[in-house]
Amino acid sequence: MDALVALGGGFAAALSPMNLAMAVVGALLGTLVGVLPGLGPTAAIALLFPLTTVLAPVPAIIMLSGIYYGAMYGGSTTAILLNIPGEVASVPTCLDGYPLAQQGRGGVALGVAAIGSFVAGTLGVIALTFFAPPLADRALWFGPPEYFGLMVLAFTVIASLSGGSLVRGFAMAMLGYFVSLIGLGPSTAEPRFTFGWEPLMGGVEFIALVVGLFAIAEVFLGLEEARVAIATKLRNVFPRAADLRQALPAILRGTGIGFVLGLLPGCAPGVTVFLAYDAEKKLAREPERFGRGAIEGVAAPESANNATSSAGFIPLLALGIPASPPLAVLLGGLMVYGLQPGPLLFERNADFAWTVIASFYVGNVILLLLNLPLIGMWVWLTRIPYGILGPVILLLAFLGAYSARNSMLDVGVSLVCGIAGYLLRKYQWPLAPLLLAYMLGPLLEKYLLQSLSMSGGSPLIFFQRGVALALLLGAALLLVLSLVIVHYASQRVRETTAEEMAL
Amino acid sequence: MNFTASGDRIVVGALLVVLGTAALLEARRLHGLREAMVAGAVVGDDTFPLILGAAMVLLGLLCLIVRLPSARVSVPAGAARAQMLGSGAVLAAYWVILPTVGYTLSTALAAIALYRSMGRYRWPVAVAAGAVTTVVLHLLFRIWLRQPLPAGWLGI
Repeated sequence: MDALVALGGGFAAALSPMNLAMAVVGALLGTLVGVLPGLGPTAAIALLFPLTTVLAPVPAIIMLSGIYYGAMYGGSTTAILLNIPGEVASVPTCLDGYPLAQQGRGGVALGVAAIGSFVAGTLGVIALTFFAPPLADRALWFGPPEYFGLMVLAFTVIASLSGGSLVRGFAMAMLGYFVSLIGLGPSTAEPRFTFGWEPLMGGVEFIALVVGLFAIAEVFLGLEEARVAIATKLRNVFPRAADLRQALPAILRGTGIGFVLGLLPGCAPGVTVFLAYDAEKKLAREPERFGRGAIEGVAAPESANNATSSAGFIPLLALGIPASPPLAVLLGGLMVYGLQPGPLLFERNADFAWTVIASFYVGNVILLLLNLPLIGMWVWLTRIPYGILGPVILLLAFLGAYSARNSMLDVGVSLVCGIAGYLLRKYQWPLAPLLLAYMLGPLLEKYLLQSLSMSGGSPLIFFQRGVALALLLGAALLLVLSLVIVHYASQRVRETTAEEMAL
Repeated sequence: MNFTASGDRIVVGALLVVLGTAALLEARRLHGLREAMVAGAVVGDDTFPLILGAAMVLLGLLCLIVRLPSARVSVPAGAARAQMLGSGAVLAAYWVILPTVGYTLSTALAAIALYRSMGRYRWPVAVAAGAVTTVVLHLLFRIWLRQPLPAGWLGI
């Protein structure tokens, strides 16, 4: 009941006219950038993040969560209409969404995707409301060794995000940790890895890294694939009653699969969507309809996608662990505004945290209200030629990297990251572990040092305390479990797209 | 052109070994500093670089020795390659001239050059699109975000 009272307070704040307006603006902008072919949600959030910095923290975070939801939804539009999965989580949506679009039922597919996203997103946030605070209440159990165990648990997330090859995942994660070390050391403020060069003392800027790896690299990849928009006519975006009757059980099943598996670290949306799609196909009375435009084939993976993203909010807010690159960017944003997710979140920033949770509910509703009537406009946007889109994205990325710290060095870093990101993506080295390790590196180091100081330098401290040991064992167990599921999903990706995609 | 990549693991492996060694050297330098500055601490700024450096060297050697499942890679050719190299060069030039030429003029030039190289639009179209882009970016960054940007020689 406490949760409901607190949530009520959150709603009171989130529903003020200013904050509501920011949620609408955020959802609009997020969808706008998310539907542009060639920009995944991670890049969309990173590009739009600077726009929120002129606002006060509360409306800024509300706008940011609107952007997050919008960008996540935007990806399914290009999957259905253009057969371009902006990221691996949209691959199954293409399978039936695109045939539906070819049959002139693209509008219905988009409508069902919007409804599925809404149902899954809202159920996910309801679970967040009731699960996250009790989880965070365990804060007293947590000393530095336990936090270190958590960070190791997060490392298993990183490893299993590597699309099947552990070596590739670990290699990228270590590069991420390395980049995070550049700057001033935490205990003596002595410069590290700056090699006497002063501009490096501030470290590598988060926005510059994300914009380079995810936006600039993405433009080059898009250029190479010579993406062209296909004209589709949309007749009706509102699904008929028969469509809904067909889609609703799939939406609920997709939500269930996406949410439950999404709680496992490492089960990114890219994994759960395939499981949801396959489950639907196995349950269907006529499985041969799948791949030729079955509405359940859109409903299930879209719902699973959103349910998994929402499930990701629980470890994000309660433990401070992002489970996917878009959540990592969101976490970066929350931290900029002084909200440190983790077990102390609900103690230190209760009002703020509940406002954010309330704004997640609001964001879901706004997205549904906006998307059904505006689908025609999003469709039109997907037809913008790449020759216009590419330069605009590059200029925005360039200026976005600059604006974070008014530094030309950051722009240089993001250009280098753009080239590196392009090459790494081409050779299928996953970028997600790099980004997440970069985010978690400083925390891992902090808890490691604090624990070892407590124990006088003995690493045995991690095995002598119950919770820390349990977390480490849990990490090992989850790693094995995730590997099995991820292995299954990457095989499915290979079968479906005849190419490897990092999950 | 398509080929099965194998050189990438050598490059990444070598990079890990080099960076890992750098981390170990940095850890040694920091360890020396800590001994001199702080008495009695068992850990410090050098601890994590030491662990990470060792792990990076080991993993790098593993990459160099063990064969990974290799990726099929297509190399961009023809128009796409020209566009990519062209727009990459424009961005690099933009980065070089912005502080001296100033934000407004260099942004206009970069936008026009990008529309020419990526979109292959005719000059009049590229110039018009570049002008519109510059105005919109001006409104966005200078007016709305009140972003301080280098003014350069011309003061704009």
